[in-house]
Amino acid sequence: MNVTTVLAILIPLLPLVAAGIVLTGEPETREQRARLAVLPLVSSFVCAVTLLPLVATQGAVGIRFYDPGSVANLALPMGFHVDRLSAVMMVLISAVGTIIYRYSVNYMLQDPGYRRFLALIGFTTFVLLCMVSSANLVMLFVFWQLLSYLLALLAHNLTHAATFEGSFRTFTLLRLGDVAFLAGIVLAHSLYGTIEFHELFARAAESPVLFSLVPGIEMNGATGVTLLLFIGAMSKSAQFPLHIWLPHSLYAPTPVHALLHAGIINAGGFLMNRFAPLFGLSPAILHVAFVIGTVTAILGASMMLTQNDIKKTLGFSTIGQMGYMIMECGLGAFALAVFHLIAHGLFKATVFLDCGNVIHKARREPVFPPTSRAEEQAEFSRLTWSTGFVTTLLIPLLILLVAHGVLRIPLLDSQGTVIFLFFIWVTSSQAILTLTRLRAVASWKVSAAMLVTLLFVVFTYLFAAERFTAFLYPNPDEVEAYFRAAALPGHLFDGLVAMMTVLIVLGWSYVYAQTRGHRLRMPSWVETLHLRLYVLFMNRLYLDAVYAKMGRAATRLAGRLDRGAPGRLL
Amino acid sequence: MTVVHAPLLLAAVPALSAAAGWALWNQPRALKAWLQFAALTSLVTVVWASGRLPADAAPLPLLAVLPVAAFASLLAQPIHRSNRGAWMLTMLLLGLGLGVLAFNTTLSLIVSALLLAVLGLVLVQFRRHVGLEAWWGAGTAGFGTLAFLVAAAAPPPVSSLAFTLACAVILPLMPFHMSYVAALTGLPGNLPAFLAVLLPVAGFHGILTVLPQLPQALTGTVEVLALAGMVYGSMKALAQTRPASVVAYGSSTFVSILWWYLATTRTAPPHTIVFLSAVGLASAGLLLSWYMLRSRHGEFGLGALGGLARPMPRFGAALSLLALAALGLPPFGPFAGFVGMLLAPSFTWSGGLIVVMAAWLCASWYLFDLVQGLLFGRTAVAHRHQDLRGHELASLAIVLVLLCALGVMPTRLFDPGVADAQRTFVLESSRWTN
Repeated sequence: MNVTTVLAILIPLLPLVAAGIVLTGEPETREQRARLAVLPLVSSFVCAVTLLPLVATQGAVGIRFYDPGSVANLALPMGFHVDRLSAVMMVLISAVGTIIYRYSVNYMLQDPGYRRFLALIGFTTFVLLCMVSSANLVMLFVFWQLLSYLLALLAHNLTHAATFEGSFRTFTLLRLGDVAFLAGIVLAHSLYGTIEFHELFARAAESPVLFSLVPGIEMNGATGVTLLLFIGAMSKSAQFPLHIWLPHSLYAPTPVHALLHAGIINAGGFLMNRFAPLFGLSPAILHVAFVIGTVTAILGASMMLTQNDIKKTLGFSTIGQMGYMIMECGLGAFALAVFHLIAHGLFKATVFLDCGNVIHKARREPVFPPTSRAEEQAEFSRLTWSTGFVTTLLIPLLILLVAHGVLRIPLLDSQGTVIFLFFIWVTSSQAILTLTRLRAVASWKVSAAMLVTLLFVVFTYLFAAERFTAFLYPNPDEVEAYFRAAALPGHLFDGLVAMMTVLIVLGWSYVYAQTRGHRLRMPSWVETLHLRLYVLFMNRLYLDAVYAKMGRAATRLAGRLDRGAPGRLL
Repeated sequence: MTVVHAPLLLAAVPALSAAAGWALWNQPRALKAWLQFAALTSLVTVVWASGRLPADAAPLPLLAVLPVAAFASLLAQPIHRSNRGAWMLTMLLLGLGLGVLAFNTTLSLIVSALLLAVLGLVLVQFRRHVGLEAWWGAGTAGFGTLAFLVAAAAPPPVSSLAFTLACAVILPLMPFHMSYVAALTGLPGNLPAFLAVLLPVAGFHGILTVLPQLPQALTGTVEVLALAGMVYGSMKALAQTRPASVVAYGSSTFVSILWWYLATTRTAPPHTIVFLSAVGLASAGLLLSWYMLRSRHGEFGLGALGGLARPMPRFGAALSLLALAALGLPPFGPFAGFVGMLLAPSFTWSGGLIVVMAAWLCASWYLFDLVQGLLFGRTAVAHRHQDLRGHELASLAIVLVLLCALGVMPTRLFDPGVADAQRTFVLESSRWTN
């Protein structure tokens, strides 16, 4: 047994040891044990960091406690497969798990369920680590399912009526994804005869097969499998319309949110990356993912804007970000999605942990945040406005022309570069507009900040994300194949670019009008529409009511069969 | 000891123990201890006789699960005079069950008929507890008895058809499921928990014998009935207000999944044994838990009790784990059996799988609702809660250990005579000719 093998086994096991330390022993020593349990978690992180370069240089680690040739004879085929993707995810999960656990040791000290809570955090970290290092489809599914149950246990205070209902809803919706995932595994095994990742990908690429999902409708095998897997990813990553469980989990303790938003919810993105070779064979599902991701991103962001409490705002922000992540997968930028989920995970964990302190502080201080600082008066600055306009519209256009005309980069043939440029443009525009909205004062510093923002975004995408892509998927042909599979029709992409341009121009016009003190004249129907949309988004599109109605219909039907009680609504 | 005597011994040990138990009728404590001892003796006898049984006898795991279930269900019982009848019947039914599994086919049919006749009589005897369903249950059991006798006497293909119908009563398949549901919801003491294991196991053994004889058209009908049974069982379970009814309809749904699988693939890989035993044990565990609550608080509906996790932590932990198993979560047997069945080489994708998956999903709804409602939420202060006693916890622990073992043990242990890992029982061979 070499070093990499030992590390690959130790990384998931150490958080389990931590959970064991917390659970066993006398209640009087619970605090000491809770602090002691930080050690195995830190060790797990150190092992993950050590394993990452080893995997990058020596190749993937494969450990199997079963014979792949005789899977039918084993109850649960257990094993580990740690490649670059798994190693990166392990570093992220062990880091976030350790930080959140350490934070919870103090934060949850006076909670009656202190031991249970800390043990569950350790156990969830263990399950997440096993999930990302699973050797085959069945093992991945085993831990995927456990995660659903742990989420229902962790994310809810079960003596509180609202969260009691939320827990039920969370579990039921996550099980929907689990069942679709299981159906995907069964279909994959039925069509390709294996549960091993690499064999599955190879066989699917070698021999495209057709099957009948329901009698009369024939479908490509890879498309069917990826469709079912994608439903699984949708439920865990809170994609529209399966996102409604996430806002209902907001009564849980703050560290749970940090773990949920930084770790658990990324499972969908991980799943799509793990099955990237299969998704690469089914452009239709990539397009579906793009549409679902885009809709989720737009709805998540819109609903976020209308919420009036900090946790809900952050919750919907996560839904929007997850939509963005799935959208990236739908465009074939799988590594970019992982890059995004890491960045978002670290950011959201920090924000949620900080948010706990802010809430505590706000409860103690009558006026929080303090109003001592005089608010700066927004005023129109030609310099600020021009810099913003130039950096969001003209510089991207210039980059495009230089790349195409001077550097002779064949952009039309290079789908990956186009997508990266598109995301640079969207991200930097959004950041710069937000910056202007927050601090629209006449200052060269603001203009400089805009330029730095643009440079930072360009650097992040063109250097860091590009490098990261090369790290996760060292074969450039593979990356290009994913982009090609996900390529949108030309006119659709042109439409997206045109829509973005219009949105940016509108944004700057609005900023201009606001700071000049002009009032934009809107037709009355626009005002009415605005109000209606506001109410609609504030009520989360009434999807909760729709689900409740569906649940009620099902239980009413069941009640008619039995003339019994109405049962529980979804 | 020959292949003739070994099955006889298996059936005789529990039956004679029950007869001997009459001498202790007035001493419940001693009676219970004696019957528990008899159940363990039966287990030892099963292990001893495993190599000495006829070729068409059931495999060891199916034989062994019956005395274990009998022991665990007896162990959970409080010592009370009103439970004596249920204990004695448990041993009698254990004897009959082992007879069904161990005797050659013709004798097995007669013992099966006897088993259903006893069940019918018991349902009539306890009609006050069972309610209206007792008559439906007794009627179905009577129909099953008759069908077994016809199967034993008539020539093929009538015998095959009769055998299948009888199996549909004992291994519940809609619309012949009423005796199973009535037995699980209305009988007193440990009988429901024991019958939750006994009836499916006995029925499964029968169906393995008869299925190869069935024409394709009839297996098609079985497939349709099984799919309808899943939908019906799930809907009924959703609408129930008594935990026992939820478990009864839920387990009948899972059994319908097995019927569908057997009819679709015409094979019974070892995972089917894992699945069947695990579903039976999980249902038994949930019914035992329900009985433990009922013995403390009397009959109640869902919603009347809640928040038990805090005042009854042992009960809470045991019920949560049992629910995990029944929901089909790893590492328990129902999950391993279900996934194993679907990943067996003989299984191919078909449209019916969508209904199977929907039934699987529904189980998460009604079982999670049941357990969440009992364990969490506001604690009912009007009730005086008392956590599980040692013997109660031990009985649930036995069930849980077995469920876990079924979930993680290599499946070859359920098919010990075969080296080839991918082997399944192909049901095309003619194992039974009447």
